[in-house]
Amino acid sequence: MAWLCPFFNIFEKGITMAETFDADVIVVGSGALGSNAAYELAKAGKSVILMEAGLRIPRWKIVQNSRNSSRRSDYNRPYPDVEWARTTESDEYLENTGSFDLRPGMLKLVGGTTWHWAAATWRYLPSDMKLKSTYGVGRDWPISYDDLEPWYQRAEEALGVVGSDEQDQSGQGGGAYPPRSKPYPLPPEGKTYMFQRLEARLSPLGFNFIHEPNARVTKPYDGRPACAGNNNCMPVCPIGAMYSGGFHADHAEAVGAKLLTDATAYKLEKGAGGKIVAVHYRTSKGEDVRLTARYFIVAAHGLETPKLLLMSDVANSSDQVGRNLMDHTGIGMHFLADEEVWGGRGAVQQGGVFNRRDGEHRRDYAAIKHAIANPVPNPAVAARLIDQGLLGPELDRRIRDEASRWVEFSTVFEMLPHPTNRVQPHPTRRDALGIPTLTVHYDVDDYVKAARPHAEADFHTFVKGMNGQLIDISEGWQNRDHLMGSVIMGADPKDSVVDGDCRTHDHDNLFLATTGVIPASGVINPTLTGVALSIRIADAIAKEV
Amino acid sequence: MKFLISVTAACLSLVVASPSFAQDAQPDFTDKALIARGAAVATAGDCAACHRAVEPSGPQYVGGYEIASPLGAIVAPNITPSKSAGIGDWSFADFDRAMRKGKRRDGANLYPAMPYTDYQGVSTADMQALYAYFMHGVKPVDTKAPETHLPFPFGIRMLMTPWNWMFRSDKPFKATETLSTQAQRGQYLVETLGHCGSCHTPRNVLMAEKSGEALGGGDIGGWHAPNITSDPISGIGGWRQDELVAYLRDGRAPGKGVAAGGMAEAVEHSLQHLPDADLEAIAAYLKASDPIRNPDEKRPAFAWTQARPIKLAAYEPGNGTDEASYADSSTTDGAFLYAGACASCHGRDGKGTKDHFYPPLVGSVTTGAVNPANLIMTILGGVDRKSGVGHAFMPAFADQMSDAQVAAVANHVLQRFGRSQTSVTATMVATARAGGPEPLLLKLMPWLMGLAALALAVVAYVSIRKSSGRKSRVG
Repeated sequence: MAWLCPFFNIFEKGITMAETFDADVIVVGSGALGSNAAYELAKAGKSVILMEAGLRIPRWKIVQNSRNSSRRSDYNRPYPDVEWARTTESDEYLENTGSFDLRPGMLKLVGGTTWHWAAATWRYLPSDMKLKSTYGVGRDWPISYDDLEPWYQRAEEALGVVGSDEQDQSGQGGGAYPPRSKPYPLPPEGKTYMFQRLEARLSPLGFNFIHEPNARVTKPYDGRPACAGNNNCMPVCPIGAMYSGGFHADHAEAVGAKLLTDATAYKLEKGAGGKIVAVHYRTSKGEDVRLTARYFIVAAHGLETPKLLLMSDVANSSDQVGRNLMDHTGIGMHFLADEEVWGGRGAVQQGGVFNRRDGEHRRDYAAIKHAIANPVPNPAVAARLIDQGLLGPELDRRIRDEASRWVEFSTVFEMLPHPTNRVQPHPTRRDALGIPTLTVHYDVDDYVKAARPHAEADFHTFVKGMNGQLIDISEGWQNRDHLMGSVIMGADPKDSVVDGDCRTHDHDNLFLATTGVIPASGVINPTLTGVALSIRIADAIAKEV
Repeated sequence: MKFLISVTAACLSLVVASPSFAQDAQPDFTDKALIARGAAVATAGDCAACHRAVEPSGPQYVGGYEIASPLGAIVAPNITPSKSAGIGDWSFADFDRAMRKGKRRDGANLYPAMPYTDYQGVSTADMQALYAYFMHGVKPVDTKAPETHLPFPFGIRMLMTPWNWMFRSDKPFKATETLSTQAQRGQYLVETLGHCGSCHTPRNVLMAEKSGEALGGGDIGGWHAPNITSDPISGIGGWRQDELVAYLRDGRAPGKGVAAGGMAEAVEHSLQHLPDADLEAIAAYLKASDPIRNPDEKRPAFAWTQARPIKLAAYEPGNGTDEASYADSSTTDGAFLYAGACASCHGRDGKGTKDHFYPPLVGSVTTGAVNPANLIMTILGGVDRKSGVGHAFMPAFADQMSDAQVAAVANHVLQRFGRSQTSVTATMVATARAGGPEPLLLKLMPWLMGLAALALAVVAYVSIRKSSGRKSRVG
């Protein structure tokens, strides 16, 4: 038995001379993944320290920051970007050296980046997890969908996921798929008017509209009120209907975990027998602290996790730490429908067209997901019209008209893992704590580029189907903030960092709770998979501590 | 102490020996209609409110739920007909004695968390139906609930014996003759099964209901169960009959207020399931009850219907644009806190939504009361209430605000939307967080312990006299 309290450390040492630790398990990172792992372990009676580089900020304060400032349009801006806990908003945070400017909107505070997301909570398909053996490209996961299914269910129950129990989420128009052991915890929200209109007119052309499972609860759930459909998911849900990791940081504390804020981990210390023995962290006041534990979970997202491993020269016998970085690099399209569809009402996103989520084409080009984005369109519409020189009553009239007919598609592609796409500690730059910042090299691959014409062909069909007027298709590529592959999972320790349980091949007491372990990206938002894997990590550790 | 116990034990044996109830002819307890009627009686008595599982999804009446009392947690026992873990072995006489006299089958005293002082007036017919339901309508579950362990000296159940002599009436329920038949039915429900006085009647120093102030308002677990007498200012005299019925059934009455805390539970588990005729009867009785006025109150709590204006600028500042200000959540500016935490649902004007899904903060008994306890508790713990008009839910803010911040936002609400003379301090919030003020009994305990022997001896003496008096009447 280990004890949190230093007094007991001394006490126990004095009496028994037994090896003692500051905690059974230390979790580095209090986002959705780290907090869920910490909660499960603390609930199982383990002593847990949950470390967070940033601060704890109450929801009302973030609502205020977002309302009372000019920093609304950027979803990262209401969140403090203090010099000792930078969000990715800061230019100093990461430098890109590749052809693509990878800049995901990550946050540093208790609860992590799920403070601002649209709460999409998809499961992977069985074929997503066996990409190499099914379609001959990329990599296979070392575990199967069936292996993960019970933890998908638990993750959905933890987050309060709403979803349809009837749809074929692979987009192939079949029966309910992928298979589920139990129904979704909550029923889906009503369809927005825009979703209804697009579905009514485009599905006869063969497009399969799929509802997006999400963690915006439709009934009071786990201390959260029901979503009121006010389209305020980002930059912050003002009422907490949408899930964020902070809920489980609170739950973890309530069952005994100790939360440390202002604690930036900068070193994992190796000991005898391939064990990790301690984590070192630094505070904003420059204090350095060493904490010991039996087990360590690094849950510091897909960029910071590999950075910490590389800085510590840990878990990298394969030389794959930081490599194989993947995002669902995407493109976007806007058009005006011939009828009023009233975007901006209800959920900020509800799903979209999934025909190309799976199929034989994945041998040749990436899977594609066309998501219907549903933000309030007025700012984008107004900016465009003002750029055209419109003013006065004519501007007002056009904003009213076009905002009612505006449609936005946000499309993502499946990326493959490439060792050359990588994140590393910056060779020269240091942050305010004296810790290296990040450098990223990222190029969009040919697998994605080959899929782009197919996506654009769909765009033109959508516009035609709505008898619409195309506004634009984005040039280049867009960030989707889904960080995967950077501490890749695999069966072979020679070409992967963690095994199917997210345990590092090199250190049997070090686990990584991050979507960075995902070896095949598919096209769906990976957070739910990350939470499922994190709860699975907690179960594995609970058996051993 | 030994002396005390022997005195108390002697008294106890006297009570047990006395024939305290008559055995009526017993019906067929397996009769389906009787069981069904018993289920309705159990609902009116809200047995499920306490005798529930720890997990909300647990089996009915399995117990284990901890009733927070100021003296410590009292665990509700399993009252399913399980022979090993519940009351499966109990005869009707055992059941009747527990319900009316607060005695377990083994003769030990129950704590008055079990409202036997109210249930003692339940009609024989209702009691028989209730017994039939618990024996033959409830599924037996063989899970024993943990024993209650109150701290010394309250752990001594025998102490309840003199308490019972002082505070337990043995008179059958008798409706006030001047009331209408409907109001008489209401009186029966309010005073016996509904045990409304458990919360709504203030308690004396020994935690018994003050009989002279029935329904005049009581404090429980940090909440204030308001005065529900017919007084037009301090009570519910200003509520229309249909508003009272709507409140009891739905947990809300537009223009009057919403139910939270224990009242939300009473609506969810009991009141909404009662027949309309019973709700009408309860409302009729309350409107005919003896009025009690708090002289500090000059207008009804619901009558603060106008929001006081505020400059929009009050919501805007308080936020520097540098990173340190973005990270600083220490403000105690009530307007600022209201805008961030409350206005998203209740609106900047405090009007809520037209359909009352988000209720207004004007015209609400919670914000217009002399006693701000319910406002504080609602901010700290939120609202969670299911009824026929939906699932009303407000998140808890206890973890998001300090005591001083809760006080600040409560004062902002009071000054803008409610009774502006009422005010809240951080100390009051701290007390509410701890479950409400410590009862005098607990505060006095060190002194009482010293005087216990004397006090008990006097009580015992008086009671023996009272008891022999009764005997002679019986004889």
